[in-house]
Amino acid sequence: MSRPLDLAQRALEAAPPGDGTLATVTVERSLLLRYARSRPTQATAIDDLTVDIAVLRDGHVGGASTNETDPESLAACGRAAAAAAEAAARSAGSGDYPGFPPPQKLPARDGYDEDTARADPVPGGAALGAAFEVAERHGVEAHGIWTVADVETALVSSTGVSGSESVTDAYMKVICIAPGGRSGYAAQTAAAVSEIDAQSLAEDAAAKAAVSSDPVRLPAGEYAVVLEPHAVSELLSMLGNYAFNGLAYAEERSAISGRLGKRVVAAGINLADSPRFPRQIQRSFDAEGVPKEPLPLIQDGVAHRVAHDTRSAAKVCAVSTGHAIAPGGSPFGAVPTNLVLTGGGASDAAELARPIERGIYVTRLWYVNPVRPKEMLLTGVTRDGTFLIEDGEIAGPVEDMRFTDSAIGILDRTEALTSMPVLTSDGEFYGRRYAHGVVCPALRASAMRFTG
Amino acid sequence: MDAGAGRSDYADVRHVRSSAETVSTRNGRVELVRHWEEEGFGVRVRIGGAWGFAAARGHERAAAEDALARAIAVAEAQPRISGQVVALAPEAPAQGSYSTPVEIDPFEVPLEDKLALLSQADAAMRGDARIALTTAHFDAYRDEKVFCSTEGAYCEQRIVECGGGMSATATSDSETQVRSYPGAHREQVSQAGYEHFAALRLAEEAPRVAEEAVALLTAPPCPAEVTTIVLNGEQVALQVHESVGHAVELDRVLGREASYAGTSFVSASDLGSLQYGSPVMNVTADATVAEGLGTFGWDDEGVAAHAVPIVREGVLRGFLSSRETAAEIGLERSGGCMRGEGFSRQPIIRMTNVNLEPGDAGTLDDLIADTDRGIYMATNRSWSIDSRRLQFQFATEAAWEIRDGRLGRLLRNPSYAGVTPQFWASLDAVCDRSAWRLWGVLNCGKGEPGQAMHVSHGAAPARFREVQVGVA
Repeated sequence: MSRPLDLAQRALEAAPPGDGTLATVTVERSLLLRYARSRPTQATAIDDLTVDIAVLRDGHVGGASTNETDPESLAACGRAAAAAAEAAARSAGSGDYPGFPPPQKLPARDGYDEDTARADPVPGGAALGAAFEVAERHGVEAHGIWTVADVETALVSSTGVSGSESVTDAYMKVICIAPGGRSGYAAQTAAAVSEIDAQSLAEDAAAKAAVSSDPVRLPAGEYAVVLEPHAVSELLSMLGNYAFNGLAYAEERSAISGRLGKRVVAAGINLADSPRFPRQIQRSFDAEGVPKEPLPLIQDGVAHRVAHDTRSAAKVCAVSTGHAIAPGGSPFGAVPTNLVLTGGGASDAAELARPIERGIYVTRLWYVNPVRPKEMLLTGVTRDGTFLIEDGEIAGPVEDMRFTDSAIGILDRTEALTSMPVLTSDGEFYGRRYAHGVVCPALRASAMRFTG
Repeated sequence: MDAGAGRSDYADVRHVRSSAETVSTRNGRVELVRHWEEEGFGVRVRIGGAWGFAAARGHERAAAEDALARAIAVAEAQPRISGQVVALAPEAPAQGSYSTPVEIDPFEVPLEDKLALLSQADAAMRGDARIALTTAHFDAYRDEKVFCSTEGAYCEQRIVECGGGMSATATSDSETQVRSYPGAHREQVSQAGYEHFAALRLAEEAPRVAEEAVALLTAPPCPAEVTTIVLNGEQVALQVHESVGHAVELDRVLGREASYAGTSFVSASDLGSLQYGSPVMNVTADATVAEGLGTFGWDDEGVAAHAVPIVREGVLRGFLSSRETAAEIGLERSGGCMRGEGFSRQPIIRMTNVNLEPGDAGTLDDLIADTDRGIYMATNRSWSIDSRRLQFQFATEAAWEIRDGRLGRLLRNPSYAGVTPQFWASLDAVCDRSAWRLWGVLNCGKGEPGQAMHVSHGAAPARFREVQVGVA
């Protein structure tokens, strides 16, 4: 038994008995190096853990967490969770949570890497040095992060669930900025730090930044677009969070409420949550210990399934699909965490651009927020590499533009995809680190609405 | 710190014990009752200009020493910085203690009492079949911090925050509309005790919140036009946050945040000359305002709380800064804006309480009465701004026509867009202190690894001319 699993078992036993208990231990050891203007700026090494205890009383789940591991702290944490559940039961009568899931066989996963787990700062320093050297050669400055982590999650419950998994991840982002302010972006996510190629990333980012012509300003309107995978993944993440969220679906707030089994996007779109896809950051179970299995979300343009946790599933007489992000269900709902968009037939982004007479090439999207989630209407801006496409070729840089459009609409107007999806991530690690990404290709859409 | 003194140019350590409690209801049922505790050390060292930061849980000496050793190793592994290393701006070593004035400790109030208030509010929003979702929330936070440095600083702080809120979502076949109180995105939190939450009187406001959500379903859409807008205080606060607060963070200005949050259209040389807005625009970053989420005794590198003028009569007069960035552009003193989330995040430049100072336009009623034609927009619904904090687009939950000095029809899906300096140049009236209050923001995201910081903005309703509305 691993030490986190042993600790989770001790936490479970420390909680007062009742209608059910679930204990989770998450151990994070991570290192993140930041740099700006081709100089190191910040470096954060984290060695921490979280013990979460969830207690069920009369259909209500109470929760508490601590990062202390002594018996007294675990007992106090258990008492706090039980007190929370009991207060809810006393205040509101019976709740609607059906109970912690029974044990199921947890699938094996691949991708753990010992070198990455060491969180050694020396390779990180070398990666930064390589990026600085490339940037200097191109006359630009490099900004970004290099980060590695080993996160072990152990989960046990009074229903008999017992499992743990260790996940390593490595990520590097390079943004090169030219003296005139033009910027370019490249990023890579992997389970093993050895796969991160700092020099190649810096070359890609520098090539986008170091363009000689001044950017043109385009008027608002609809344009044909080529979206690189990082831009596509932003749209897909929003779609997963808001449209394929089982709680939003059950409460009829989702853009696909009432539309399962119907065509919602172009027939060439096939989207799934694939937790053991080879290029994904693989996962074997969710926050309630339910196995994560492949879940088809869109097949040939038809909305097929939504992601459920135990609570949202119960609302629509379904079963959990293994997408809980908190025991008892998060207020946000259940969301897919391993999205994979199937590729198409185009060899690369240049081939996607070829039929476009006049359009926009987008490297990435930034500050994307839902305006009206039920329509999947989003707004955001392009960033770090936006170009004009004329007569099928990149004609030169354009100023960043704001889009206001429906993610479903953009996918419905999708005409072609590249053949090789890549793992993308924004490298955002708020709270306890949970590495995840979207595997997707670049795409061409016949129109995207830009509003300024 | 004794161990760090001989092995680095500078070192500091924070021990932070954080607690939090959240209670919420959803459609009349208890949704979440949860308690958090964590504690640990965050050790920061500076060697040859490179920073290293390491965090370790617990409160034992061994944990602090382990964090120190790792922080040093990380700093030493980074590429050497070429050129001159700038010294930190001088600051008298922090000494003493600070504690939030609290009448009722929110962690001592029984959960049942909190649930009772939330359940009353939740129930009072339901009844109309078109209300599909009701939520009510309570949150409390407490940080107990000890800070010391190799320069001789030693101070203790105890910061308590508390608040809540509610929302009603109405749906029809074609529309989903939401109204919230007292502000958008869950709640309004202040640096205060349970008395702040109790004073919100959620249940009393609940029927109006639900009625407006239902009314929005059939309200006419916000027209697309260029017109005068009056923003309620909360939306002004968000406008300040996104287009002033972030834009004057000196790390962004100097290019240090290009990796994630972005840069700024403002440059360091703009100080004293950039016309940021109209003459009625006065903005201050003040870490001493009572009840502000950006209020403290000292920031997380030991700089005593103080007020920094940011904009005076429309002209840029200051930045949000740290000891390092202040020294880099020749300021005499840091703005005292360094804060880290919990113990495990490295302090970075954050907003304190970045306030639009009150004007002389009287109350909201006075301002509406003084407006012939336009749109009054209230309660943020969505926000987005580019990475230089220049071009923005915001939507609010509700809006009302203004015709001949009176509020008219309710409008659904209101939105507006603009470019920061032009937008602030169009500001021609700000309500007075009677309409001014602090608005809290709990989800200010910045940094890598990410940090969600709590900040506040003092704001009153304000009027802007010739603004593009109806963009979404």
